[in-house]
Amino acid sequence: MSSGSSCSQTPSRAIPATRRVVLGDGVHLPPGDYSTTPGGTLFSTTPGGTRIIYDRKFLMECRNSPVTKTPPRDLPTIPGVTSPVGGEPPTEAGQDHLSSSPEDKPAGGEESQFEMDI
Amino acid sequence: MNNKFDALKDDDSGDHDQNEENSTQKDGEKEKTERDKSQSSGKRKAVVPGPAEHPLQYNYTFWYSRRTPGRPTSSQSYEQNIKQIGTFASVEQFWRFYSHMVRPGDLTGHSDFHLFKEGIKPMWEDDANKNGGKWIIRLRKGLASRCWENLILAMLGEQFMVGEEICGAVVSVRFQEDIISIWNKTASDQATTARIRDTLRRVLNLPPNTIMEYKTHTDSIKMPGRLGPQRLLFQNLWKPRLNVP
Repeated sequence: MSSGSSCSQTPSRAIPATRRVVLGDGVHLPPGDYSTTPGGTLFSTTPGGTRIIYDRKFLMECRNSPVTKTPPRDLPTIPGVTSPVGGEPPTEAGQDHLSSSPEDKPAGGEESQFEMDI
Repeated sequence: MNNKFDALKDDDSGDHDQNEENSTQKDGEKEKTERDKSQSSGKRKAVVPGPAEHPLQYNYTFWYSRRTPGRPTSSQSYEQNIKQIGTFASVEQFWRFYSHMVRPGDLTGHSDFHLFKEGIKPMWEDDANKNGGKWIIRLRKGLASRCWENLILAMLGEQFMVGEEICGAVVSVRFQEDIISIWNKTASDQATTARIRDTLRRVLNLPPNTIMEYKTHTDSIKMPGRLGPQRLLFQNLWKPRLNVP
């Protein structure tokens, strides 16, 4: 059988253990396509159907996306929660403050604890 | 912003015959109206992932509540104490909110962040919660920010693997301790609650001696005293609905 012989001639390859995909800022992911990502590793099928599963590492990487640098347009101003205490509207400086890394933030009894291992 | 507008326009098929400028303006007005309406009805215009964003399995809404010191519980307490911060549909939209909110460890006073699936109110009497319960973990001061982040990332990323069971998560900042909890729909479903517990242990990387307590919402109402600080949240949330002064 020719089909059988062609099958046996197919070279075997190891399954790659990891696959790293670097996404640049300009990359276009398929919007609304729930089954495909460039990495191919984000979605998983469960007995309940296909669900969108992300691990912590991937979610943390998305934090660096440029769109996350600006607050949502309809973010309510809540002093001490979404804006600095004192009720100033969120300015550019305020945004930097809130989104800055922990060590940049003032008033810091608890700051270092964010990164502390339990 | 542009991403959001583009996405919204897709839903408003009736506007497509207008030119770009008018259409945008009209959408803006409509959105404002919808937002005003949402103050009373709780309904919002559909939030969708922007182009090139990573969709989440569910949309989620951030809420914030704070007990006003010294103010007796009144019929206005519910509105005064809990505020919707906003709803997101993608990983990127989540980070836009999260990056512009303080972390729970930096909150002052008697405050809570709630992150619930869109359409589920962080109240026990919501249809999704009324037969449910929650895992409660009490944390010593200083751990809340990190644990909360790990908890909500696991929830958004569908790490719990319990189908539709998860309703939302809460972090409660109190004077002596902080409390994180995750709410599910069916308190009597032991396979689900056990799986949630095991996932919590995995994603929070808790010390072995950490006490985890499961509480049904009906027990929380019957025996509010045992719940300590959480009792105040429940009182504030449900008293106004019962018209208790």
